[in-house]
Amino acid sequence: MGSSLLQTFIDWTGRLGLHYEFLASGYEAQIWRGGFITTLYLIVLLIPISLLFGLLFAAMLTSGNKALAAPVRVFIEVTRNTPTLVQLMFSFLVLNTLVSNGLGGAQHNPLTPFFWVVAVVGLHVAALHADALRAGIEAVPEQTVEAARAIGFTRLQILRFVAIPLALRASLPAIVNNMINLVKLTTVGNAIAVSEITYASIMVWTQRDNVVELMIVILLFFSTINLALAKIGHWVEKRLAVPGFGVGA
Amino acid sequence: MSVAKLSSAPSSNWLPWLVGALVAIAVIWLLADLSLLHVLIEWLPYLGSGFLMNILISLLAMAGGTLIGVLLGILELAPLKIIRYPVGLYVQIFRNAPHLVLIFATTYIFPFEIVVFGHYLPFPDWVKAVIGLAIPASAYVAEITRGAIQSIPTTQWEAAKGLGFSRSQALRWIILPQCARRSLPPWMNLFASITMGTALASLVGVHELLHAATDASTAVRRLDFTVLAYIVVMAAFFALCYPISSLTRRLERRLKA
Repeated sequence: MGSSLLQTFIDWTGRLGLHYEFLASGYEAQIWRGGFITTLYLIVLLIPISLLFGLLFAAMLTSGNKALAAPVRVFIEVTRNTPTLVQLMFSFLVLNTLVSNGLGGAQHNPLTPFFWVVAVVGLHVAALHADALRAGIEAVPEQTVEAARAIGFTRLQILRFVAIPLALRASLPAIVNNMINLVKLTTVGNAIAVSEITYASIMVWTQRDNVVELMIVILLFFSTINLALAKIGHWVEKRLAVPGFGVGA
Repeated sequence: MSVAKLSSAPSSNWLPWLVGALVAIAVIWLLADLSLLHVLIEWLPYLGSGFLMNILISLLAMAGGTLIGVLLGILELAPLKIIRYPVGLYVQIFRNAPHLVLIFATTYIFPFEIVVFGHYLPFPDWVKAVIGLAIPASAYVAEITRGAIQSIPTTQWEAAKGLGFSRSQALRWIILPQCARRSLPPWMNLFASITMGTALASLVGVHELLHAATDASTAVRRLDFTVLAYIVVMAAFFALCYPISSLTRRLERRLKA
């Protein structure tokens, strides 16, 4: 049943001049499917990691303690103003080599290319999240905080019940944007042979010379994921909208 | 400590000091090992030629992307659905596509030479990278333009109509000039982002800075030089993008006030 559906698809697209025959082959189709799964896995893994570190960085930034805020500020400026690919190559070729040398040879180094993609992209997006959250915390009106204090909230209660809920709502659009950025950034893994979707596609199209066919699917794949993320973001924004804040109806 | 005062100011006056300190450390490190300094000086012109390629690609991609993007942004608000929907689809797909995927697409789909009236014109990879980055740039610029046009109060369109302007005249003489000011900060953000995207061209073999650094470190085969080469790459991009992004932030603050 499934295979006949696939065959219909291959025949039908073949008539349009698009060659998807590799899907019927075992090995190449498996590599390609594996690429999609790796990319999805990276995304699912990176979203919570980036949010967790983003919250941590934002907490450090707004702690009022210069010793905590300054390193995070430097990290944010560096990640935001240098290409992610360069950061990845730097981490993989320099930091990874230093770790290997420290442990006495590459064979003792437990850090894989996959780890470095997760670390670099995760911390990169975390830095962007942190700045969005900081802006959100700054946007909490001082009168609201004063009013909360006037009715007897402690400092922690103010943070917990007033400042953080409002800050999260204010930074939500920026955070959704960062997520979309995150999805796109997973492709840099290609540079260090993490078999995400672009890497797997290269494997297939060097054999079959069917770049256009693969590109169509990849573009639709990323479009769908990011459209879904944006829709979820809008839905959450609407659910959480506070009357009297922002322009949302 | 009140919550509103929790935050630190985003612009900081200690950052130049920090950069200065890092440069000083680098200089001391280089002077401590003169052979390393010598190798670096030898390779600097090669790295520099790579960086010029990054700048060239980003300028051309932004120029093309802006021209097409403004047009698409206007078309996105066209009264006819048959124009609006395909343009919307284009923007949706290419805004959400990873830059690397688009660079791969243009590199591998376009031929390596084109025939014009019997003459073979080479179609080099760096031009394909320009197109690969101009496509997402045009989608972003379209969104920026659309947002800016929509942020202009409707009363201005009505007033223009009342003064006898046609729709296109109102757009050209009244709406777009106001949009330019509003879209400048996001446009500059995009410029910085496209500039950083040029590093991706190294993956399709374009001789740009990251590619040059990889070449250099393979040729020299010294770990300390590799570290240094990649630090130079980071510093070059930072020196180009940091002024753009800090200027953007200042502009944004001024427009808000």
